[in-house]
Amino acid sequence: MQLDGAAAATDQAAARTGKGGAPPCGRGSRRGRGAPYLLLLPALLATAVFLGWPMVRNLVLSFQNLNMKELIQHLTEWVGTGNYREILGSEQFWRVTLRTVVFTAVNVVLIMVLGTLIGLLLARLGKTMRLALSVALVLAWAMPVIAATTVFQWLFDSRYGVVNWVLDAAGWHAMTDYDWVGTQLSTFFVITVMIVWQSLPFVALNLYAATTTIPKELYEAARMDGAGTWQVFASVTFPFLRPFFLATTFLEVIWVFKAFPQIFAINQGGPDRLTETLPIYAFTEGVGNLHFGMGAAISLLTIVVLLAMTAHYLRLTLRQEAQEEHEEAAL
Amino acid sequence: MKRSLAGRIWLNATAVVLAIGFVFPVYWMFNTAFKPTRDILSEDPVWFPFHGTFEHFATAVHAPDFWTLAGNSVVVTVLAVALSLVIALCGAFALTRMRFKGRKGILLTFMVAQMAPWEVMVISVYLIVRDADMLNSLVPLTCFYMLMVLPFTLLTLRGYVAAVPRELEESAMVDGCSRRQAFLKVVFPLLAPGLMATSLFGFITAWHEFPLVLVLNKEPGAGTLPLWLSQFQTRFGDDWGATMAAASLFAVPILLLFLFLQRKAVGGLTSGAVKG
Amino acid sequence: MKRGLIAATMVAGMLVGVAACGSGDGADGFKGQKLTVWVMSGSNPAQWTEQVSAQFKKKTGATVEFKVQQWNGIQQKLSTALSEDTPPDVVEIGNTQTAAYAKAGALADLGDLKKAIGADWNDAFNKAALVDGKQYALPWFAGNRVVMYNKKIWAQAGLKGTPRTRSELFKAFDTIKKKTDAEPLYLPGQNWYFLDGLTIGTGADLVKKQGGKWVSNLGDPKVAKAMDIYKTYQSFSTAPKNKDEATPQQSEVFAKGKTGAVIAMGYEAAEAVKANPGIKKDIGFFTIPGETAGKPEGVFLGGSNFAVAGMGKNQELAKEFLKIALSKENDARMVKEAGWTPKSPDLATAAKENPAAAAAAPAAEKSGGTTPLIPQWAAVENVPNPIKSYMTAVLNGKSPADAAKAVESEINARLAKE
Repeated sequence: MQLDGAAAATDQAAARTGKGGAPPCGRGSRRGRGAPYLLLLPALLATAVFLGWPMVRNLVLSFQNLNMKELIQHLTEWVGTGNYREILGSEQFWRVTLRTVVFTAVNVVLIMVLGTLIGLLLARLGKTMRLALSVALVLAWAMPVIAATTVFQWLFDSRYGVVNWVLDAAGWHAMTDYDWVGTQLSTFFVITVMIVWQSLPFVALNLYAATTTIPKELYEAARMDGAGTWQVFASVTFPFLRPFFLATTFLEVIWVFKAFPQIFAINQGGPDRLTETLPIYAFTEGVGNLHFGMGAAISLLTIVVLLAMTAHYLRLTLRQEAQEEHEEAAL
Repeated sequence: MKRSLAGRIWLNATAVVLAIGFVFPVYWMFNTAFKPTRDILSEDPVWFPFHGTFEHFATAVHAPDFWTLAGNSVVVTVLAVALSLVIALCGAFALTRMRFKGRKGILLTFMVAQMAPWEVMVISVYLIVRDADMLNSLVPLTCFYMLMVLPFTLLTLRGYVAAVPRELEESAMVDGCSRRQAFLKVVFPLLAPGLMATSLFGFITAWHEFPLVLVLNKEPGAGTLPLWLSQFQTRFGDDWGATMAAASLFAVPILLLFLFLQRKAVGGLTSGAVKG
Repeated sequence: MKRGLIAATMVAGMLVGVAACGSGDGADGFKGQKLTVWVMSGSNPAQWTEQVSAQFKKKTGATVEFKVQQWNGIQQKLSTALSEDTPPDVVEIGNTQTAAYAKAGALADLGDLKKAIGADWNDAFNKAALVDGKQYALPWFAGNRVVMYNKKIWAQAGLKGTPRTRSELFKAFDTIKKKTDAEPLYLPGQNWYFLDGLTIGTGADLVKKQGGKWVSNLGDPKVAKAMDIYKTYQSFSTAPKNKDEATPQQSEVFAKGKTGAVIAMGYEAAEAVKANPGIKKDIGFFTIPGETAGKPEGVFLGGSNFAVAGMGKNQELAKEFLKIALSKENDARMVKEAGWTPKSPDLATAAKENPAAAAAAPAAEKSGGTTPLIPQWAAVENVPNPIKSYMTAVLNGKSPADAAKAVESEINARLAKE
């Protein structure tokens, strides 16, 4: 199961060419110089047309006042930087931004830590149990968002919810009619439970698969040195899977940050707009209230925030690429 | 010995609790789909659908245009994912195997493309499609879905391509293959699991997309299944039984795909991510 | 039978009248054309639809296609559709949303049509179709809330007859509370349209003009008084204070048979019966009583208008359709078949067959109203509705004035944008 093609190929190749076969020389000159561009052309073209164009359109809209009237009558009304000034000048935007950053951080940390633990658990389970847990994870992963949000709403319903019923049955009677979406914190709790529940399978299953690519000798060596479970993880697993952790964290940051239906369905950003994150804020101000210019401006600011949050990873990746290029050139 | 037995029990117990936790909401969806309406809302939870009914499934399937929408969904999803795989594979190959000017810039472009806030960009997309007079067509829908999954697909495939040793290609080329033949005969088969794993993400994204199809394809026969899924909410209230039945049906293709690709998927995404 | 005959005669008479002053393109002018009508899911009863389609075909030679729209995302769908080259010809628009669409220039003027077919419509119904005195839509149907009660529980509590004043109603709730183990009333904290009705009852305005701009008037003592009445109602219920009547559906709660009453729309009875067929024989309705026996409680007339897309290509045909769809005969069907409140006096007989409509009619006639009819209002009701926050805050013990102040800036911000 764990022997995916790529890993198998590595072994084969290593056997055939000897460890770390020297990179072949002169390929760059043999190949036509246009080849990489030709190969990338479809991807770049598609991105330019189907993403670049809407983005540019979005940018243009952000300098317009586009409401229902302008939309219906095909009018264009320029407002310069008015939308941006209004957003950046509003206290709410900054509060929402801060909230989004904290929300994303908490969720991503939970997802990565719990996902890693479940992934490591998978590696230690027997075959049957492992399959059972994997199937459970896959089921959770594949559930449609609309169904998931509805079911979670029911589970946490104050009067008919299963959660309150269980808590009550377990003897915590104060929770019999507890209103989960009554306060900011408890609403975030429900949202977090749902998002973590949905995101864990991706991390756990991938982490488990990744651990299977770690050479057994490394573990044995560590154990010989008398390392405990935690030390083995810290000295072998984590360093070996560092790129995996980085890449997955990057993805989770983007996904949690952009989470929309989950938050919107639970309480529409309530109570009192206290659980609005940036995507909800952009949607409510832009699409919901039909102020599309405003929505466009917020969406662009949203990208800026996301870029800032992931800047570290982006820089790291680019630096690593540069290093690889450099090393190859040196050879 | 004794301690390890206790340890094993502890591990398995944790696994059982986790499995139940993960499955429960999914179970509740299926359970609700089979429950008669009066049991859906109940002060004492109805744990099992003893008085099961297929009524909700009948409502869901007999909704107007169900089969048309299902057909549209399959066409759009499969095409979008297939296109993105082909395009991304070419790009990923160039980005990992070749060195050229602007490489890092292009890499960065795709990483940023992954952050695109599609939900809020709906109106820009709409205006473009409207002005091109392409509303109610599956073509723009396919193209935009393709692009929603392209950056992820490309970046993940990059990891897979990197995992295939160059030496394999080299030796094939020494044996007289052209570079293209070497790729098709040697590299591609090794990438197959990675392609399948990556495609899962694409399938889920395109299969679930709602905000865009809502405004682009308003003709009854031009929509996709997410529109059907949201239709059991009426003036008179929401028919949750039908919604859950529809959601269960909606999830089945994805579940089957998952179970079918499970081996590959699990091993697959990793090597992509590890080398990413 | 007799009524049907009268209605038919009236329709026939009207048709003659219309044909006489027709603009020249007679019935044949439309042959083979197709008219697209957007209706919301659940709005058009089956028999009504069948009959209107048949009559339309017969009279104009054209066909009408009803496209049933889902509620999810309707605002985005409708506003984009109205911007397209071939918009739907006729659209159903929520009565309180009409002003916004009219102001956006999306709708055609229907002044002549109103004169021709709607002379005797109740003003409360028609008001929502008027923008700056111009008729941009025609009222299709509207309904208002009534008390839907469980006869069995009321009998258990020894109650006879139905309350005629608010204090009698509260006394009845009290009796139920003491003598039975049922919840006297199920009323969540955010049934905002019920509150809107109460503000109509106290004569409050939710917005006021200040320096040429509309601003929140939620701090007005009359609003506070309405909210106070709501609070008394709510004190008889253990329903969550920060949910509305749709989460969970109050009809399904009522269907369990442990609830004395709900403040409900007539159609909610059918939903309750669907959830529990056994409840059918226990369901009764009465008009929400007001302060005095003579004047029922203020009610919000919620419903829909028909409007013609201003950019539509078939506007004449669309008007022909409206003449048929809004004829006396078909309006009577909306009352009978769907239980909507009669919009003109001569439809009252049709309401007799539908007990919910019969209970709703007196209030609609004497104390019906709507939300503020200004184009900006629709934005205030958008999710998240600040007035719902206000309600929850007051029910949780905040003073109405403080609660109003807390949401004022949000409401004003929404009112300021056009």
